[in-house]
Amino acid sequence: MERLMEIAKKVADRVEIYSESGAYDGVSFENARLKDIDSSLQSGAGLLLIKDGRLGYAYTRNLIDREGLVRNALASIKGGVEAGYDLPLTKDLPELKTYDAGIEDLTSTKMVDECERICGEFAGKTEGQLNVSAGRDASTVRVMNSSGTDLSSRSSSYYAYTALYYPGSYSSISRVTLGKKFVPASPEDLDYILGTYNGSLKEVKPATGRTRVLFLPETIYALIWRLKAATQGKSVYEQVSPLKDKLGEKIVSDRLTVLDRPLDDTWPGARAFDDEGTACRDVPIVEDGVLRNFYYDRYYAWKMNAESTGHGFRPGIVSRVTPSLEHTVIKPGTESFAGLLKKMGKGIIAAGVMGAHSGNILNGDFSIGLSPGLYVEDGEIVGQVKDAMVAGNIYDTLQNVIGIGDRLYPASMGKFPAVLLDDVSFAAKG
Amino acid sequence: MFDKLKSILAGADTDYADIRYEVKKETKIGFSGRELTLMSSSSTDGHVVRVLKGGGFSSVAFTRPEDAEKALKTATENAILISKRTKKPVELARTEAVKDTVQPVLDEDPSQVSADEKLALLREYNEIPLGNEKVATTSLAYTDLVREKFFVSTEGTEIREDLVTVRISGSIVAKDGDLTQTARLGFGGSDGFGKLRNRKGLLEERTGIAVDLLKAEPVTAGTHRVILDQRLAGVFTHEAFGHFSEADLIEDSPTMREKMQLGAELGTEVLSIIDDPTVPHQLGHYRYDDEGVAARPTQLMKDGVLVGRLHSRRTAAAFGEPLSGHSIAEDYRFAPIIRMGCIFIEPGETGFDELMQRLGDGLYLVNPMGGQTSGENFTFGAQYGFVVKGGKKQQMLRDINISGNLYHTLESITGVGSDLKLGEVGGCGKGQLNVRSCYGAPHILIEDVVIGGR
Repeated sequence: MERLMEIAKKVADRVEIYSESGAYDGVSFENARLKDIDSSLQSGAGLLLIKDGRLGYAYTRNLIDREGLVRNALASIKGGVEAGYDLPLTKDLPELKTYDAGIEDLTSTKMVDECERICGEFAGKTEGQLNVSAGRDASTVRVMNSSGTDLSSRSSSYYAYTALYYPGSYSSISRVTLGKKFVPASPEDLDYILGTYNGSLKEVKPATGRTRVLFLPETIYALIWRLKAATQGKSVYEQVSPLKDKLGEKIVSDRLTVLDRPLDDTWPGARAFDDEGTACRDVPIVEDGVLRNFYYDRYYAWKMNAESTGHGFRPGIVSRVTPSLEHTVIKPGTESFAGLLKKMGKGIIAAGVMGAHSGNILNGDFSIGLSPGLYVEDGEIVGQVKDAMVAGNIYDTLQNVIGIGDRLYPASMGKFPAVLLDDVSFAAKG
Repeated sequence: MFDKLKSILAGADTDYADIRYEVKKETKIGFSGRELTLMSSSSTDGHVVRVLKGGGFSSVAFTRPEDAEKALKTATENAILISKRTKKPVELARTEAVKDTVQPVLDEDPSQVSADEKLALLREYNEIPLGNEKVATTSLAYTDLVREKFFVSTEGTEIREDLVTVRISGSIVAKDGDLTQTARLGFGGSDGFGKLRNRKGLLEERTGIAVDLLKAEPVTAGTHRVILDQRLAGVFTHEAFGHFSEADLIEDSPTMREKMQLGAELGTEVLSIIDDPTVPHQLGHYRYDDEGVAARPTQLMKDGVLVGRLHSRRTAAAFGEPLSGHSIAEDYRFAPIIRMGCIFIEPGETGFDELMQRLGDGLYLVNPMGGQTSGENFTFGAQYGFVVKGGKKQQMLRDINISGNLYHTLESITGVGSDLKLGEVGGCGKGQLNVRSCYGAPHILIEDVVIGGR
């Protein structure tokens, strides 16, 4: 990397090198039987050059041909992507505990043992199809730039995913176990999966109409996705966000607080700096229902005459950074799962959703299939609903928060509690 | 290159091993509104080694050439671990050893087109929507992707096949007050850069739709009779039906296997579905899959009866069914999994106007906006649609998501048009991306589907 920096500095005004390397091992069980073990050893580097206010970018997997990489990046400068921003000098960041050496001792054999143990916990207690997978990952990210920044972060993670599938379908009740080293799946989580599944086998056909809907930690992302899209610096700059003029205004229920917490190293993946070397900090997006912040990388911060909020992340070396919330949390409430069901009385649990990526995301619209939807009566799960959808616009729907769960669970797009909403449009095949 | 790969496999103490080396070259240009936000051209490479030993089958992907020995050792250890702990040893269906080199026939090789010319073409197309006062912004991207693949197995197969894909895709955002509406677009294919030229008409049409959507009405929730256009019917075919023709998705689900037994009458008589990567001049064309198996036309449904399935060597042996050549990897970072190549509903004899007459009152839904399936249930979005009264298109509709049950829906398709169209952009995200997954259909009439609305 140092040699690449030397070569690049000779031909450009400013240089940024992002590199990553990692090793992953994963095992999977399908229908409670060992199916696959796979591994991956990946590395790569992305080179960003700025010359005369123009930006070029190229990447490679192997630093065998450094000159070739620099040539590719230089060639792309000719396109004329503007870059009037500085690369930061960042140092003296807080030490985060992102790496647990315990990950080194976690072999594929041990992960196979854990998956077998989980399968054993379900044996004889259900007729559902049980799929379990586990994986470990150890990786390093490094950001260097010509301003003198040289930061690296080593991280470890372990996950186990347990899912119990309904007959003839890929609808499931699932839960993720997450740690910086091996942690056994908790008895509570396994009981939750088994109890929820076994209690919902009967098919029920509730009528189309408006109802209470409980989004589980695994499904609330479908709504939070819309909020993330509308608060992204890029959408605000392009004037296509419905929230662009609403900083400081109440946009959703005052029960709802959505934060980005990159420094929280109790979970795997905490970061003290983003992929551009900007220091990360905790940023409230919505606080007690009030819109507090948009989030930026350096490019869109420059465009908006704002400061980068430390949200320049990339989905790997193949892309330049975009503003991205990578550590999102909904502030938990006070209610247990049973308490939320009791409060709901009658309604639907969105236990799995399909098609969250469809529809007018920027506008806040959602229209998603339930897979499965669970039907609740008198505070108890009584069955599952097929061929059903919930729909609305988050700026209406999230006004009607009537309860929030007391525990965060790792899920797609963040760590979330369950969220109970009133008066949601529900459509089903009658 | 073959010799280098063979020397890596020479150290293998296995029942079977293969190695794939790929060079992946990608050029990307991106506009957000009038701003050029991305222009980059890069080349990357890597290997995937797979090992079968004692009934255990395992793979390791690696990027550093010096990791080859370690990767082979890890794959072998993992295969042994599986063989000791599995209840179901893996076998691979027999396939012919092949030595072949395949180069695509292109109408203009994108690597021979200068970056300046690619940029100029994208800019020209981008100006079309931006010239409309109702358009707030656009997001438009050019991509060309070349995969140079080298495959060697211990059975003696040596294949070099190159795949070249070009695409322009993105979205047009129209705005009126606080309301924004988006129209998506995409075109291109595997036939070369020529596919991208002379496409202004498409940009004009998509711009019109984005603007018209501002005045469209949100659809009413409920159950409706519908006609799906070719692209939407293609997504239905891919999402709702196609995935369950992929043997690896149902292999370990006893209940799904029971429902998807060959010979099962799942659809109406008008419905025949095939996956055929060998059809020339379409996005999903290839000659060999990433296990070195020749692709072949695979009839999946004939007159409503399930007659075939998509396989890897592993699943073909497990199901005792013929190989189909559908085991495909995204790139050098992944071992292959079963993917659709080019799936479509075969055309019937009903013209579009006649289909609309048969619909009478209902909805005409156009263009997909993402889809997903969870076994028997599926959901996908339509970009827009129209109320149909007495066979005539009326008010434009938006915010349309469809949900349904696969088996009910297959039984409810009562009309299949004669106007088959294959998509120029497809793609599928089953764990890995597959940008070349092609799908299509004629217009189809479905008796009732659930539509979510506000």
